[in-house]
Amino acid sequence: MIRYVAIRSLTAIFLVWVVVTLVFMLLHLVPGDPAELLLSQGSIAADPAAVAALRERMGLNDPIWQQYLDHLGGVVTGDFGASFRDGAPVAEQIATRLPRTLEIIIAAAVIAAAAGIPVGTYAAIRAGGRVDGFVNFLASAAMSTPVFVVGSVVILLFAQQLRILPAGGYVPFSVDPVQHLKLLLMPAGTVALALWAVIVRMSRGAVLEVLQRDYVRTARAKGLGRGPILRRHVVRTALIPVLTVLGLEMGTLIGGTVLVEYVFNWPGLSGYLVAAVDARDYPEVVGIVMTISVIFVFLNLAVDLVNALLDPRISLVRR
Amino acid sequence: MTRAQRKLILPATLAALVVAVIVLAPVLPLPDVRSMDVPNRFAGPSATHWLGQDEFGRDVLARLIWGGRASLFIAVGSALAAAVIGTVLGLLGGYFRGLVEFVTVRAAEVILCLPPLLLALLVVTILGAGTWPLILALTILYTPIYARVVYSATLQVRSLDYVTAQKAMGAYPLRILATTVLPNVMPPLLVQISLVVASAMLIESGLSFLGLGVVPPTPSWGLMIQAARGSMEVAPMLLLWPSLALAGTILTFNFLCDRLQTALDPRGITAGGALWLRGGGSRGAVPRSARRAAAPKQDTLLEVEGMSIAAQNAGTSLELVRRVSVTVRRGETVALVGESGSGKSITGLALTGLLPDALSITGGDVRFVARDGEEIDLGALDEAGFRRIRSGEISMVFQDAAASLNPVLRIGEQVAEALRAHGGARGRDVDARVVELLRQVGLPDPERRARAYPHELSGGQRQRAMIAVAVANNPRLLIADEPTTALDPTIQAQILELFRSLKKATPDMGLIFITHDLAVVAEIADRVTVMYAGEVVEDGPADEVFAHPHHPYTAALLASVPEGGTDRLVAIPGTVPLPDAMPEGCRFAPRCSHARDVCRTGSPPTSHPTPERRTRCVRWKEIA
Amino acid sequence: MPETSLIEAHGLGRNYPMRQGLLGRQKDVWAVRDVSLNMVRGESVGVVGESGCGKSTLGRMMMGLEDPSIGSVRFDGRDIAGLRGAERRRLARRMQMVFQDPFGSLDPRRSVGAQIADGLRIHKIVPAREIADETTRLIEQVGLSSAAMTRRPHEFSGGQRQRIAVARALATRPDFIVADEPISALDVSIQAQVVNLLIDLRRDLDLAILFISHDLHIVRHFCDRIVVMYLGRIVEEGPAEQVFGTPAHPYTRALLAATPSLHPRPDATGDRILSGELPSPSNPPSGCAFRKRCPIAEPACAKAVPPLEAVEGGWRAACIKAGPRPAPDETKEKGRP
Repeated sequence: MIRYVAIRSLTAIFLVWVVVTLVFMLLHLVPGDPAELLLSQGSIAADPAAVAALRERMGLNDPIWQQYLDHLGGVVTGDFGASFRDGAPVAEQIATRLPRTLEIIIAAAVIAAAAGIPVGTYAAIRAGGRVDGFVNFLASAAMSTPVFVVGSVVILLFAQQLRILPAGGYVPFSVDPVQHLKLLLMPAGTVALALWAVIVRMSRGAVLEVLQRDYVRTARAKGLGRGPILRRHVVRTALIPVLTVLGLEMGTLIGGTVLVEYVFNWPGLSGYLVAAVDARDYPEVVGIVMTISVIFVFLNLAVDLVNALLDPRISLVRR
Repeated sequence: MTRAQRKLILPATLAALVVAVIVLAPVLPLPDVRSMDVPNRFAGPSATHWLGQDEFGRDVLARLIWGGRASLFIAVGSALAAAVIGTVLGLLGGYFRGLVEFVTVRAAEVILCLPPLLLALLVVTILGAGTWPLILALTILYTPIYARVVYSATLQVRSLDYVTAQKAMGAYPLRILATTVLPNVMPPLLVQISLVVASAMLIESGLSFLGLGVVPPTPSWGLMIQAARGSMEVAPMLLLWPSLALAGTILTFNFLCDRLQTALDPRGITAGGALWLRGGGSRGAVPRSARRAAAPKQDTLLEVEGMSIAAQNAGTSLELVRRVSVTVRRGETVALVGESGSGKSITGLALTGLLPDALSITGGDVRFVARDGEEIDLGALDEAGFRRIRSGEISMVFQDAAASLNPVLRIGEQVAEALRAHGGARGRDVDARVVELLRQVGLPDPERRARAYPHELSGGQRQRAMIAVAVANNPRLLIADEPTTALDPTIQAQILELFRSLKKATPDMGLIFITHDLAVVAEIADRVTVMYAGEVVEDGPADEVFAHPHHPYTAALLASVPEGGTDRLVAIPGTVPLPDAMPEGCRFAPRCSHARDVCRTGSPPTSHPTPERRTRCVRWKEIA
Repeated sequence: MPETSLIEAHGLGRNYPMRQGLLGRQKDVWAVRDVSLNMVRGESVGVVGESGCGKSTLGRMMMGLEDPSIGSVRFDGRDIAGLRGAERRRLARRMQMVFQDPFGSLDPRRSVGAQIADGLRIHKIVPAREIADETTRLIEQVGLSSAAMTRRPHEFSGGQRQRIAVARALATRPDFIVADEPISALDVSIQAQVVNLLIDLRRDLDLAILFISHDLHIVRHFCDRIVVMYLGRIVEEGPAEQVFGTPAHPYTRALLAATPSLHPRPDATGDRILSGELPSPSNPPSGCAFRKRCPIAEPACAKAVPPLEAVEGGWRAACIKAGPRPAPDETKEKGRP
């Protein structure tokens, strides 16, 4: 087990390094001058003086290995430099905005898991029946509808027609807890809907698969009742892949709440990223991408470790 | 065409329809997507503008159809490009492994370390917005996913013997990849393509919505939704149409993908679920209708008479077991012997109510005498009723102990569960009893083994643990379904010995031993019931049956075991008939060297050469 | 030996590295160790032993499908490890394999005829226009009708598939066939069909067959010579009659005693049952690997791995107390009235 944790942790650190290097290469080894690329707008050539100034600021005149070390050092110390747009330290902005994004994700994950696992399990037990067909259709529809569509429709419905929830915005929890939660409800609910669909399908599939296993038959042969079989043998085992997927999906969401934050005007990390991309603010983009990637890699690591705890077979698998 | 394939027609037609409308946009009689008509902005549906006009008075329907072109082109283009690249990487990596795997699959997987939308944004940052950067971004994004899918499918296929056979043949690796591996990894690949098209449309529309994808004035669904948000209060329908078009198209592809998956997956669960888990039924008492007081014969434990089992599916019924009769007396070991397809295993499962959902007992009488002397009609029991008698009255040992033990529960817990289910022991008593049971089945160091997980035990030890679970509540009847088949000879001998010692310790317990191995029968059974193609063909005391078989099938089976040292084995020609193509008359007749015309007409009646023996051969006297 | 060997394995060993503990102390796990085996044309050799004894790995090394870690396999006097490219392929024509699982050994997506014809095409056994005729001949040779050619494998039963696999192996006109558990997945009544087919083919085509199986009865029936393996090593090797009639190694005796028989001894007692299980190949006992389960072990057994020494001409056993003893089967026959 210790060996497994050690190997997986080292792999995660290695992956972070690979990602950091990859981003560096993407921005520096693409044909053409990054400064010029960043300043040019479509076919309009950039002003040479501005390009030269930017080159200086980006440290592009340094030797390439120097730039690489600076880049690495920035990631390790968490210092991503200052924004091109307003000169504010990128790290500070990230520190303020990251928790807001995580708040949406965690709230959505809790809602989705609480509503998805029981529904998926029930659908699996009734597989092939009407309830199952309905749940399947609902999940497919939820999966197929982009979040910005759901978000827009939800605003149309609750904020503009029914007028029971604010259309969007952000108030810190410390300032007005009730308004904060009201504002959180729609974005979190919108993200939760997509996640719910994934969880329902996943838990339905996992439960169906476990139900076919021989050890469930053994549990019946022992004379166990429905409840204990479901709890101890079916759901417990089926949860392992479901939690894995939930964890991985949460990782994907860290960069994927862009649209929700945009639609609901939630000042999180992803909205910041879009603005940075739009403005081609190099330090901001690098800073955010690095932060998200690191979280993503370590979240995957956490998922693996939790898996190993839940399933005694995993730590034995030679990798 | 199978059912799963028929179910593909609807989604495939839908997808084709959507694609056709979008592809045919230039030839459809649609108004120009760019011609504005500002005075009529936000106009509702009319004869010329079926879905109304947008904020610049442009035709909504035309823009919807043309908007799909961009989405579909980007989604399908990147899905196919990524499929080609990913498949090549996955095939090479999976087939050659080692260094090749590292530079293909593992390298591509690094991309998966970035959240997908983030990666797309990064590419757009560098290359700017537009159709081609989007295709590139999505291709990069999906290549590792394909690579991974094809890689794992390739790994699976390459370890199969038919690939090894090609290698042994001296075929070139590329030839093997093209003719053998690629066709066999196609099913998961096809599923993946339809999945990726749907997913790519999601991402494309999202980026376009943010203004980072398709560049105006090219119409696109994402852009239309974005624009409609501004005028949501005035014209909510403008938001609805592109939303419906987008979600509907993605749903169509997801739908197609689901159906493809069921059609291509051979293990596909068509009518899955678990009937036994659904509510209803009695509260666990054995229904009165199933009880009867007097036992027919003093020491009879189980009497099965004329039991039939059939698979029911959509009105059709396929008989798998026909009019089987088996009797087990107290303390007796009865071997149920037959080849695959003989129905011996489902007969065993039927006695514990563990038949798969699609199968059910369709006739006959199954009577079991319980501990309290009452007779229970097993055919009339529901799940709750069976639950009461399982483990304590009738218990079962399965063939594959590795699969039959829960991999995430400790051995001790799995034994304790059986004890607790019947309320016998509580608290610390349970632990002591678990260790005692494990010791009884011959597990070395039972205290430690109780804390082990199944995968930490060897095959023989797992089977011992399985037996401990089965005998935990001192069943009156133990059914063992091929309990030694997967084991090596020396371990098989140990397990057979364990059964013998269990019988010695509990002389009243009846044992049904299901096996295909005649030699094992000779080692362990008092009586033998020979099954062929779903019927009992012969029955009687084991030594008598082996010495003087009264059915040509039994005789042929005995002769095909190479113990005599004859120069040539006696082979039974042909194969076991399938349940949907059972021959008329005696089911063994087509393979029988003694068959006459009379054998091919009516089903042979049961004859009793001696009171203790039965045979279903009309010519048993002549061939004896 | 009067004839020169067709295939000659010398000191074969195959190890797999395995790490143990956090710091990854590398350790070699030997699947096969120090195996030497000669076969002449037309000879059938049976390899028996329990799972994990290395018999399949041995078969794959003899086929050249797996490279030995040490030792060599010579086919017709040439070391197959040293051959590459066209020469290797030429040799591949002469050695073929029949596998255990009749459902995994045929490509489910290609017609039976195409799969049999593969070998004909690759090695240009017959001119292109005669391929169909030759395929028909092969299918009929294994007892199926030529109508089978256009059908897919799933339309056949297990026994028929195994016949098809044999036809595919015969297509390249091999001299040597490795049959890895070719009948253990088949029903009893079908096993005899396939065994009889292999016996006929061996006689008619003068094939050398390495028959890997855990079924002692079949091996005894089919093979001239028997190799008994335990934990990667040969423990006994010799003519079938001697090895099974009067086994010299205690493991062979135990294996025979453990094999269920249609005529069980009336005095069935526990003492003929071997205790314990196969030791882990990563941590075998010192000296003789069998000693911990051996009923006649003594302290000397722990000292060194016993060498494979001649009991009689052409009959060898690796036991310091080796000596022919009546097989359990024989005592039983005498014990019966």
